[in-house]
Amino acid sequence: MHDVIFVNRDFLAAGLLATLQISAISIVCGTLIGAVVALLRYLRVPFAARFCALYVGLIQGAPLLVVLLFCYFALPALFGYKTTAYWATVLSFSVFIGAYLAEDIRAGLQSVSPKLTQAALACGLTMPQVLRLVVLPIGVRSVIPPIISQYVRLIKFTSVASIISVQELTGNALLVNARVFEPATILSFVAIVYLIVCQAVSLFGRWLNARFAVRT
Amino acid sequence: MNYSFDWSALWVHRDLIISGFVTTVELASISLVLATVLGIVIGTCGAVGSRGLRVLAIGWVELIRSVPLLIHMYIWYMALAVLRLPGFACAVLALSIYSSAYVTEIVRAGIENLPAGQAKAALASGLTQFQTLRLVIYPQVLRRILPSLASVFSQLIKDSSLASVIAVADITYEAGALDGMTFRTFEVYAMTLVLYLVLVSIVNQLLGALLSSSMRSSRPSPRELRDA
Repeated sequence: MHDVIFVNRDFLAAGLLATLQISAISIVCGTLIGAVVALLRYLRVPFAARFCALYVGLIQGAPLLVVLLFCYFALPALFGYKTTAYWATVLSFSVFIGAYLAEDIRAGLQSVSPKLTQAALACGLTMPQVLRLVVLPIGVRSVIPPIISQYVRLIKFTSVASIISVQELTGNALLVNARVFEPATILSFVAIVYLIVCQAVSLFGRWLNARFAVRT
Repeated sequence: MNYSFDWSALWVHRDLIISGFVTTVELASISLVLATVLGIVIGTCGAVGSRGLRVLAIGWVELIRSVPLLIHMYIWYMALAVLRLPGFACAVLALSIYSSAYVTEIVRAGIENLPAGQAKAALASGLTQFQTLRLVIYPQVLRRILPSLASVFSQLIKDSSLASVIAVADITYEAGALDGMTFRTFEVYAMTLVLYLVLVSIVNQLLGALLSSSMRSSRPSPRELRDA
């Protein structure tokens, strides 16, 4: 019964690799977007902060699948460019997770006591220095758990990319299933792989939090 | 950008859009109720049950949460095809079980964060275990966890879009069909995004109103109870 998995191990491993790759790129890009948006809103930069609030509100009201289809079908149609399923996936996942990360990071920045920033300013640090040396390190370290849970969410979400025929873990598993039709074996295998990956990332997050969280 | 907009195609096919929207609302509301009930039951077991029950509840949450919703859908639809469930039932099962794991976590944390004296005092004054839960624990916990529940509910509404993959004719599914018929790609998907946004906003507003009305109710707030 488990022959299916063994025979197709290379194909499934390639899928897992693609899943991890998409997750990694989207996590990096999404975190950058989230950090910039959070900073702009934290500093209340005129106009930009409004725009960022609109972006966060729009994305938080939208399902990932529709954002994905929007990036794959609607945006290229609108602006007349060609894209591949892979890059549409990375774009939509980064933009999607960026909005959620922005809210988490902003919550962290706002949890930094104003007394601390005032003290830092009084010591003669400039505003960029205060941000870099005081607000960001303390703020981000206080929101490690929600950030990690967003990452885990993103890894699970990568399965949605199979819908626009990206060959990641779920997509490859469905292809194998289409050939041999053993859905019970294949789907439970895929579920276990996601379980292991997600638990590993959560564990890593718990370690990060234990190591770096700000103790008050 | 030389895309010519044509929104009239949406109006021509409004019956499709409406039926998709209704399906989404049905799917989300049935799953929402089931997920809440399941989450409260398992979450209560995880918080006040025996040691074995607690371990089971935590294991259940970790198992369900670590598997993508799409895989849940496929498991009900393809792996358990022997059950011959229609797509809609599969989507309801997958959505409610998946979301119930999140509700479970919230309920469990809510009960555990309640001061232990509450339950002890209730039991000491002669209430049964079930009465303690119903009259003392739940009213306080539910009010406290309402904001977290609201975010799980809006997540659930958005997650329901994945049902389109197992041929449930929800709004996302109809968007794909409309796109195929009219080729008005941008208009169709922009409209879908707006519809979800409206749905999520309505639910958030409703829960927000519920929250503020429960805060204003004559009963003492959890803070007053704790300080008393």
